[in-house]
Amino acid sequence: MSLTKNESVDGTTLTIQIKGKFDFNLVQSFRQAYAQMSDKTVKVIIDLRETDYMDSSALGMLLNMKKTIEGQVKTIEISNCQPQLRKILQISRFDKKFDIS
Amino acid sequence: MMHVLIVDDQALNRILLSKMLEQEGYKISFAYNGLDALNVLKREEIDIVLLDVLMPVMDGFEAAEKIKQLNSEVYLPIIFITSLEDQASFERCLAVGGDDFIHKPFEKVILHAKIKAHSRTRELSKKANQQKKLLEYHHNQIEREHEIIEHIFSNSLENQGKFKEYLDFNLSPASMFNGDVFLVAQSPIGNLYCMLGDFTGHGLAAAIGALPVSRVFYTMVQKGMAVNDIACELNLLLYNLLPGHMFCAANIIELSASGKSVSAWLGGLPDAYLIDNNGNVKQTLESQHMALGILDEQEFEYEVIHFEADPSTRLVLATDGIIETANHSDTFFGEERFLQTLKAKPMISSEDIIQSVSKFANGSEQQDDLSIVLLNCLPLIPQEQEREAFSTLAFNLSLSLNSQQIKKTDPVYDVVNILSSVEGLKAHRSNIFLLLSEAYNNALDHGVLGLDSEIKKQEDGFFRYYELREAALANLTGAMIIIDMRYCPDTLCLYFIICDSGRGFSNKPGASEPTLVNNEFGRGLSLLEEIAEKVTYNASGNQVEMCYKLS
Repeated sequence: MSLTKNESVDGTTLTIQIKGKFDFNLVQSFRQAYAQMSDKTVKVIIDLRETDYMDSSALGMLLNMKKTIEGQVKTIEISNCQPQLRKILQISRFDKKFDIS
Repeated sequence: MMHVLIVDDQALNRILLSKMLEQEGYKISFAYNGLDALNVLKREEIDIVLLDVLMPVMDGFEAAEKIKQLNSEVYLPIIFITSLEDQASFERCLAVGGDDFIHKPFEKVILHAKIKAHSRTRELSKKANQQKKLLEYHHNQIEREHEIIEHIFSNSLENQGKFKEYLDFNLSPASMFNGDVFLVAQSPIGNLYCMLGDFTGHGLAAAIGALPVSRVFYTMVQKGMAVNDIACELNLLLYNLLPGHMFCAANIIELSASGKSVSAWLGGLPDAYLIDNNGNVKQTLESQHMALGILDEQEFEYEVIHFEADPSTRLVLATDGIIETANHSDTFFGEERFLQTLKAKPMISSEDIIQSVSKFANGSEQQDDLSIVLLNCLPLIPQEQEREAFSTLAFNLSLSLNSQQIKKTDPVYDVVNILSSVEGLKAHRSNIFLLLSEAYNNALDHGVLGLDSEIKKQEDGFFRYYELREAALANLTGAMIIIDMRYCPDTLCLYFIICDSGRGFSNKPGASEPTLVNNEFGRGLSLLEEIAEKVTYNASGNQVEMCYKLS
């Protein structure tokens, strides 16, 4: 379980990648990952390619993030979901609030 | 020792010649006519033939022709013994393969001089023939090795023929082996990855790196890794593998399964372009990093670029062989011409581009490998994953956690790992995790710790909630949570019972709560209802039973 963040070369995209398990254990580090975004950031990608597990606490964390940075960035994208995680996001109607790819 | 065959029907000539030659230490054999000579030549290794012209049975002309035919590999000199003075006979002697003449009466000095000269030529011819055979041997050996290597290379590029709708590429190596490498693969969730690499130099030495690179690339794509993680792994591989002066410039691209977004790690290749179907450049994608295999692990640069794409866009990748192709006046094809070529017609093909490059080169020798890749940014369909068969072994698994264990362990994660190792269950691990995590955390947070989700509604309540949880957990004593699991291969179901020592729910959760995304909480238990086949709570609200269907 870990979280890494990467800025794109031009600084406009922040990618937060979560490996293994996305749950309340990441509550602090996930908040920190988007707390000090540069002004140039217009897009945040939550990359779940290496995320095997998530639960409702992760959904809460995603919503919290959205509330915090909504005014600051244009797009928040949840990308590269495994099929089962995608289904969890769909059941929770997250596809209405986030770009899910 | 040189071995001379004297072919003459007249005893006097044979005796005279043999006396002269024996004095010089030559080995002598005799034949009495042409046919006889052919028989001797079959039996013995003869170095020089002294051949009379007029003989019974088979004359010298006919014999010479046959002897030369039978000894085409190594030069076997034929010296005609002749008393004939007329020009026509000389010419005929030469025409049938004669190399020289010795006239009657024989002069010893001339005879020796001629034999020596022809012996030297024969020696040279023998050596040349040996070397030729050696060369042939090595040539065959190399051809065979190249065939094997080609076979391995083509097998290592397993996916190139797939994805025809998405990829149009043309690789023109400067020699038999390509120092450019093009790899394609699709990850389990459907993202399409491709990598165009250009190793230093060309030919076999440059191509050899393609083998380990392709293995790592395919493995990492199968795991669905990000392009910068793939680049990092390849960099480390090549840094350790290649000699110092060799490296691999590479672009690694990932097109999302939706076809809408691309991420790219660009290291050391010429500019890539995002173009529309008419070849107009929408975005120029400059190389951001040094080639793979130069920087060590600490120095490696992870930054990627992201951009949006749609079905009307194409990504163009090329190795420097294209823009650095020179014509006879040493002018480069160059970026300008390349960009013009892209616009030459709608949906230009890689073949078209290579053709215009070679038209420009106009016969100049190809100096480097030429590679061009066009990626159409279309949505993809995830590949069918092979479903593992389900284990036929039924089992129960039960855990009783006391306060100490609740504080110190992460039972959900560990239990999911155990269950994932059972055949057929791995594919369901995310769902199993979700069910257990929701039920366990519900038992812990609300049952055992007595936390109230209402806190989450307050300003910053979400974080406050987890702070309170941590504090309550630290002081926990005398609590118990029991997790019971049962796998039933007959019904293909997993049954879970989670029971806690808490006071239970005052208001039972369930269908009455709306599943709105706006809710600060309650999402978890609604999810349980959706993912599980059946969820039931006991009357006191401290035990939940779930059934999860695997099929």
